[in-house]
Amino acid sequence: MRRFIQKYYALLKVQLSTSATQAAQYRVEFLMGVALSAFWTLSAVAPLWILFQQRSTVAGWRRDEALVVVAFFTMLKGFIAAFLEPSVNNTVEHLRKGTLDFLLLKPADAGFLVSTTRLAPWKGTDIVGGLGLLLVALRGLGRWPAPTAWLAMLAVLAAAVAMLHALWIMVVALAFVTVKVDNLTYLLGSLYDAARWPASVWRGPMAFLFSWVLPLAVMTTDPALAVLGRLQPVEALRAVTLAAAMSALSRAVWLRSITRYTSAGG
Amino acid sequence: MSGARSFIEKWRGLLGVGVASAVAYRGEFLVWILTTNLPLIMMALWTTVAAEGPVGRFGQRGFVAYFLGALLVRFLSGSWVVWQLTWDIREGGLGPRLLKPMHPFAYYAGENLAQIPLRLLVSVPLVLALVVGVGPAALGHDYRQWLLLPVLLLGAWLVLYTAMLVVASLALFVDSALAVWELWMAVGYVLSGYLMPFELLPAPLRRVAWWLPWRVTLALPLETLLGLCSVRESLAGLALQLVWVTVFGAAALALWRRGMRRFAAFGG
Amino acid sequence: MEIAVRALVKSYEVPVRGAGLSAALRALFHREYKTVTAVNGVSFDIAAGERVGFLGPNGAGKTTTLKCLAGLLSCTRGEVTVGGYNPSKRQEEFLKRVTLVAGQKQQLLWDLPPTDTFALNRAIYEVPAAQYRETLDALVALLKLDAVLHKPVRQLSLGERMKCELAAALLHRPKVLFLDEPTIGLDVVMQSAVRSFIKEYNEAHGATVILTSHAMDDVTALCPRVMVINRGEIVYDGSREALVERVRPGRTVKARLSAPAPAALVGALDRRGCLRAHEGATLTLEVARAELGEVLAAVLAEAAVEDLSIEEPPLDEVMAELFAKTEAP
Repeated sequence: MRRFIQKYYALLKVQLSTSATQAAQYRVEFLMGVALSAFWTLSAVAPLWILFQQRSTVAGWRRDEALVVVAFFTMLKGFIAAFLEPSVNNTVEHLRKGTLDFLLLKPADAGFLVSTTRLAPWKGTDIVGGLGLLLVALRGLGRWPAPTAWLAMLAVLAAAVAMLHALWIMVVALAFVTVKVDNLTYLLGSLYDAARWPASVWRGPMAFLFSWVLPLAVMTTDPALAVLGRLQPVEALRAVTLAAAMSALSRAVWLRSITRYTSAGG
Repeated sequence: MSGARSFIEKWRGLLGVGVASAVAYRGEFLVWILTTNLPLIMMALWTTVAAEGPVGRFGQRGFVAYFLGALLVRFLSGSWVVWQLTWDIREGGLGPRLLKPMHPFAYYAGENLAQIPLRLLVSVPLVLALVVGVGPAALGHDYRQWLLLPVLLLGAWLVLYTAMLVVASLALFVDSALAVWELWMAVGYVLSGYLMPFELLPAPLRRVAWWLPWRVTLALPLETLLGLCSVRESLAGLALQLVWVTVFGAAALALWRRGMRRFAAFGG
Repeated sequence: MEIAVRALVKSYEVPVRGAGLSAALRALFHREYKTVTAVNGVSFDIAAGERVGFLGPNGAGKTTTLKCLAGLLSCTRGEVTVGGYNPSKRQEEFLKRVTLVAGQKQQLLWDLPPTDTFALNRAIYEVPAAQYRETLDALVALLKLDAVLHKPVRQLSLGERMKCELAAALLHRPKVLFLDEPTIGLDVVMQSAVRSFIKEYNEAHGATVILTSHAMDDVTALCPRVMVINRGEIVYDGSREALVERVRPGRTVKARLSAPAPAALVGALDRRGCLRAHEGATLTLEVARAELGEVLAAVLAEAAVEDLSIEEPPLDEVMAELFAKTEAP
């Protein structure tokens, strides 16, 4: 076990450093990222702002409470941009060129190699932006969460990260089947947009979709509820269970798609 | 005479191939349809809000009609050329295109237009949902606006298409052209009426946004479809579309010409 | 046996799509598939340390077989073991035992110097530091890499890149080398450098080498044993020399004479049916081995010979002839 962890820790370090040296332009990307995340944050907050000019609460949420959800939405968006999307795109690139063969022939877990083949922390400006929004919202609410609330938040946030990773791995698995996958990551990104609203907004089939099939609502609403001190233990348990189940499922799908993989040119 | 005929032949061939490839990539087309889900999400959100009472002149039905219409306009006038072209420039797919005796802008436009049959196909359920689900009352009643609608949709597509060409031409100079397009989208989400009905924007913002290119790509045809604006306003919008198409078209051509000189000098 | 293959079959489904709009529209609702059998019941054994060439025209099933051996494709039916492992299970011990070098694909990180790829592979293969340095030093010396180690890969020439690919693929001292067109696009000097390097590695480490190549010179220089694959089946498995002997039993004799060949000699050779080309003082003959002595004696008796060579017919001609035979109905 210790050897296992040592190996993968060393690998992660090498992957991170090669990613960094390889992105010759990461300073430019960082600056662009800062500008873009400012605009996207504005575009995420604008409807909220207009909405709460009409109403004082929406589906049981006050403005600053809803802003906490937007804060977690923004943070996780940064996580996706920095740690999930670059790897998925790189893997798709491997598939297109047929060089995934080399990756599959390596004596290390292919799922791990694929998830870490490109990491771009400098694209995670939204993580900082989200933290900023969280502070603004907490100031607006005028109260500071208890330590237990922070702990609960970390637990459900970790579950959210695991769910996102599972979703993106499944996208890579799909890339083995369809020709063009750029659209697929785009699709997931577009669906993720729904996570900026508190989960109680959704009714009927949407509520089911976003809490069980694509548990986006859980990812951002649960951490917000935790920070606000309103998270029920059973909800926390559901988030963690769901994360475990999705990780297991994505692992199974991944292994299956590896078996089915036929590389370019047959 | 033969010039006209060869022109038609060329476009027929191009459109034929375009339709065939649109069908071949129907999986990707489907994904694109699914990607355009934001209106549905916003619909769910705003109808929840409107359950407690109408917002402006929009009740629950009003929001359903608005966002179904937004979806329809998106499907009929959307374009991907900015991604195609930047990708071709970066990955070297542009060279072969340049060898074709046809301006690349026209080539990509043909590919885009060839998707019309497929796009109409996916629009049918939306129109049905509008008429049956919300009721014909949700649509405009002035026949002049019905006549204007196809023209405004074409105009919306042209504004979007030429704007994309401007940004894609930037890819001949800088690596991060797509980031510029992302900027366009981030602003456009709010100012085009995609996240909420355009008229719900705060008044000062609305007055500025009225003139900007985003409104005429979405809110304009949409309000015409739903009869939310007068014929005069539709016509004024059409004039504004013309202005933006001219501006973007000229800018794209100028940028492209300069970029091509660079491309020829550095070989991409 | 290092490699044992029994009744290997690999087939896959491909969508059938006609040309034109109506076919495209039909495909919208109903997609037809047909089964393509790339490899159809192939069996063979390869001993440790052997160098074997897979030959055959495009689409014959060479690369598919190679990929089944490497575990990149799982076989539809049949059994494959490499070093005692089932490749498609992709166990770490198996993966550390093999390596792949493909002339048309590269594993080197494009924007970084080769050393970074080497370091990455060292971490992945868990090569101990001392062994890594030793192997790397040896590879650098053997392939003369010191000048290119610290240049970004995109600045290297194709040949330099290929040598670095080889180094990256061999850092973990694999026992089985899968080489897919390793010399494609290289100039003659570089081709022979790559070949002799592979041979040296094979001899030094007793590694098994499986090679697919269209460059017959690769096969001639490297592989005493060849397998000819056509339409998914093995049509020949044995020594290269025996294959040449079977298809073109003759030897190519080239003779340069001090004066234009006498008409009587040319006429006699032509009547025997062994004259291939005749131009002034140069004669090219193809002679069955049994008649070699007789023919040479006749030539030496009739003319003054300045230079004489006796060669195996070139392998690509042999292959062309072999496939022309099998293609004919």
